[in-house]
Amino acid sequence: MKSRVSRLALLLLCLGMACAVPQLRAKKKDTKLDSGPDEQKRAVHALNRLTFGPRPGDVQQVMATGVDRWIDLQLHPDKISDSSLESRLAPLRTLHMSPRQLAENFPDNQMIKQVYEGKRSMPSDPAQRAIYQVQIARYEQRLQNRQQKESVPPIAAAPVPTPPPSESASDGAKTAEELAAAAAANPESMPPPDTGSMSAMDGANPADETAMTPAPKPKLSPEEEAEARRREDRLYADLNTQSLADISPDERYKKILAMSADDKLAFADSLKGAKGQDFLNGLDPKQKETLQAMNAPQFVVVEELSEAKLLRAIYSERQLEEVMTDFWFNHFNVFAGKGPERLLLTNYEQETIRPHALGKFEDLLVATAKSPAMLFYLDNWMSVGPDSPQALGAPARPMVRYGPYGRPRVVRPHPNARRKQSSGLNENYGRELLELHTLSVNGGYSQRDVTEVAKVFTGWTIDRVQDGASFHYDPRMHEPGPKFVLGHRIKPKGEDEGREVLHMLATSPQTAHFISLKLAQRFVSDDPPPALVDRMAKTFEKNKGDIREVLLTLFHSPEFWSDQTYRAKVKTPLEFVASAVRATGADVQDAVPLARQLNNMGMPLYGAQPPTGYSMKADKWVSSSALLNRMNFAIALTSGKVRGVNVDTQQLAGGTPAPDPSATLSTMETKLLAADVSKQTHDSIVAQLQSPKNDKPQQANDGSRSKPPDQNHPQDASTIAGLLLGSPEFQRR
Amino acid sequence: MPTRRVFLRNSALAVVGTAAVPSFLRRAAFGAVENGAPPKRLVVIFQRGAADGLNIVVPHGEKQYYAMRPSINIPRKNVIDLDGFFGLHPSLTPLQPLWQQQHLAIVHAAGSPDATRSHFDAQDFMETGTPGVKVTDDGWLNRSLHGLARTPQNSPFRAIALGPSLPRILSGAEPAVAMNNINDFSVGGRNPKASPAASAFEAMYDHSSDSILHGTGEETFDAVKMLKAADPGKYVPAPGAYYPKGRFSDNLRQLAQLIKANLGVQVAFADIGGWDHHVNEGAVEGQLANVLGEFSQSLAAFWTDLGDLGEDTVVVTMSEFGRTARENGNRGTDHGHANVMFVLGGPVKGGKVYGRWPGLDQSQLYEGRDLALTTDFRQVAGEAISRHIGNKNLAEVFPGYDIQPAKFLHYLG
Repeated sequence: MKSRVSRLALLLLCLGMACAVPQLRAKKKDTKLDSGPDEQKRAVHALNRLTFGPRPGDVQQVMATGVDRWIDLQLHPDKISDSSLESRLAPLRTLHMSPRQLAENFPDNQMIKQVYEGKRSMPSDPAQRAIYQVQIARYEQRLQNRQQKESVPPIAAAPVPTPPPSESASDGAKTAEELAAAAAANPESMPPPDTGSMSAMDGANPADETAMTPAPKPKLSPEEEAEARRREDRLYADLNTQSLADISPDERYKKILAMSADDKLAFADSLKGAKGQDFLNGLDPKQKETLQAMNAPQFVVVEELSEAKLLRAIYSERQLEEVMTDFWFNHFNVFAGKGPERLLLTNYEQETIRPHALGKFEDLLVATAKSPAMLFYLDNWMSVGPDSPQALGAPARPMVRYGPYGRPRVVRPHPNARRKQSSGLNENYGRELLELHTLSVNGGYSQRDVTEVAKVFTGWTIDRVQDGASFHYDPRMHEPGPKFVLGHRIKPKGEDEGREVLHMLATSPQTAHFISLKLAQRFVSDDPPPALVDRMAKTFEKNKGDIREVLLTLFHSPEFWSDQTYRAKVKTPLEFVASAVRATGADVQDAVPLARQLNNMGMPLYGAQPPTGYSMKADKWVSSSALLNRMNFAIALTSGKVRGVNVDTQQLAGGTPAPDPSATLSTMETKLLAADVSKQTHDSIVAQLQSPKNDKPQQANDGSRSKPPDQNHPQDASTIAGLLLGSPEFQRR
Repeated sequence: MPTRRVFLRNSALAVVGTAAVPSFLRRAAFGAVENGAPPKRLVVIFQRGAADGLNIVVPHGEKQYYAMRPSINIPRKNVIDLDGFFGLHPSLTPLQPLWQQQHLAIVHAAGSPDATRSHFDAQDFMETGTPGVKVTDDGWLNRSLHGLARTPQNSPFRAIALGPSLPRILSGAEPAVAMNNINDFSVGGRNPKASPAASAFEAMYDHSSDSILHGTGEETFDAVKMLKAADPGKYVPAPGAYYPKGRFSDNLRQLAQLIKANLGVQVAFADIGGWDHHVNEGAVEGQLANVLGEFSQSLAAFWTDLGDLGEDTVVVTMSEFGRTARENGNRGTDHGHANVMFVLGGPVKGGKVYGRWPGLDQSQLYEGRDLALTTDFRQVAGEAISRHIGNKNLAEVFPGYDIQPAKFLHYLG
């Protein structure tokens, strides 16, 4: 029965397409491919694959430019002006800071501890000072808590039952936040553990009290008293915030910086949720950043980077460069939640990945191998040759370094120094370099190769991990002697051994094949035709890993333009969200709520913990939860319920009020989906429009504040747009 | 006629005494009440990232253990001794009562026989149930439902994964649902009123010619409707079930909620990450201890929360491979081979460490570095599939593996 219905639907769909074809054929210009699609379809396809989705007017523009010329232009991003994006990125100040500046402006626990212990001076800039004051006050609280805990005899090994959760909170990515909170509460475990926090992006309170509050105990402990006192402070600060909100932004900001450290702390604790957001309104970017950093310095940087990623995906004219930057970041994945990564990712994406996104693969490989972000993420910075001078206990040369203000100082042992003195290999990078970055898991290497590669890269480490991290080759950590990798003897030559191995891997046919396969999976289909992958791999080898050339082979292949390829890829959550925003021509004033949507959809930006990154294949992203989230997002977006994102559905519907909903539907189908809408979807929307008017769609509960309905938005237009963006057709590109 | 089960639950209600609970506990849509036989459930938990089995169930009777892990071993005085040779990591204290009540069994030196030390491949192999074979595209937990009698109304919750996406282990021919958050599992959010947009979307997806999206869409809307009818409301876990904070814990709480709402859950899957400790793993305290704390508190809470429904539930844990027997240069461990598995449940003959211990002497190690494997994870899972949920066709569940019921560990009573 069911199959008959779907066959019928298919038949109707085919009939519908058959009617459409003659009309489309009439516009056909391209004669390169006899049975190929017409120029408009080619333009839609190119936009679907080379960009984060077409915007209103894009198809016409690509057709005017000529599809092939447009593709060529996209392959040369330097020829495309991107000024409107730049003005959107301008408020995100951290994008232009060096790792060093980030470390100073957004101090981690380590930094705060050093200032507290007098090993580092307090910054003189009043804004920075305010940030440090709050963090130092929090640090002192933790110390006090710990001392009190230690003075109380420990409760025997009996399990301390966790108190029941006060409310059944259950939004996706809590674990990382908890671990970060635990790390914050337990300074011995610094640097923070393997996982960290993305909580700023999932809308939770970054400075949750749990970071400082131990589990409640039966009787009132000194800690509880302290906590009660702090609660009172916060209450007071809340009132204070209220009164501050009424004065002008500049005055407000000045008053806050002039507060005592305790008042600042209480104020920072009260800067949470939507109320805090209101309070930040009207401040300039630096002021906003300072107040956010007072509350939770560790989240500001990744949050701004996430905003930038979304703004670029949505607004950059250099779309292919953004697609490829995303592709390579994912290929050379690094997880924001691990230790100091949150301070390293801005540099990693902008300096390590993007400049090589369309360049030579080997350059990219070397850049990632030397990046502090990768060295830290895959632990290579700590890997020590078992027979290296360091492992054998040779004394280190005394080192004099220059302090932040140019004063020479002898470097004191880093708190990590003891661990760093340890004397063994760490295979993590060696393995992922072979498996994920170059040869692929079937690339014909053995456990022995992994170990030898790990030896090769001993000494590739990081100078000043917590404080501006830069690449550093340390011969004392390097394993002496020759190494044997994939049947080749690598002569002992220190740092250059690593260069030799990277060159060997970058020029391996296995790598050419693996990279070509992944690119084809991104641009063509989940299981791309092997013949195409082989041709791409040949181009890769012939042109010494020139990524632009490989893409040219891809974009000019019949496989890329075949009918089976058209709309064959299911969008990832990022692709879905960005394409929906682009399709509606929305104005994004604040991209953080969009980033939060991605958390719900299982794809937090910079939040892929395993080195594999995120899957590009449909099976990973098509699930009940995912589909519901997409439908809810579509409706929320088009009805103005996503904070910070304004969609003008009336404009989208054609400007002037349409004579009837079916005309609006037809306009929208063309604008949002290039009219590639099945009869089933079309009829479902028509049926919805014909249902009684009082059945307004319920809005998604996305945690954003609801706005009063805008009288200028006809309900029909927003309903139609929401249903189209949530339709099966819009889930593909 | 009310069964003992219903009676017990009703008395539990009297104790809880909140308004929210009865609304869905009263709905006995599926299971015992209708068809007589109690529904059997299998819950699989995956510790993603390769948990360090040797520091989780510690062979404290092995001298070699202490020699190979000078800085990250669990000192004998801190181990919760189980049988004079093995002991639990102190962070597993919440599981100790389950061991004492003999609901918790351990299988040591278990896992996947494939030699890969790639997280990705090894997880894939353990989920497809065909180690070494990459082309398998469905998962063994999905296949374990093939040919089994369906729950009366063909429940979409029959196979459920807690999380934003459907894992490989549950993909395949049997309908399965991934659920991230019960409260958001609808079109139009928490609002109990059916959204008209929902019916439009349902019409689109139900009859879509897009096979991938159509299939998922159909299951999704069935599940949404059923969940709405069950009205989970604001869930209150059973007294004594203290779920810690965290995603894994949230997921187990929601799974308990679905099971208790009688939605016909037969197989379920949840995972917990954060086990890949190459650096600074910690010992009695530290990174591993932290994640073990969440793991054990969540499991213990889940067990308490299930109450007498635990009688029909078997939980099996696994991780893609173990870690090197020796600590590495950074007070961590690298990718290894065999690992430890937990089996928890009413029908489990617990309080015992199953499997053969291969030893940690140099000559006994796998490739000279890792704990050797003496029990294939399929042997453990196969016993639960065959003897608990009742699918005897193990050749189909684990193709290419000569599984012999005679060689089961017999951890089920």
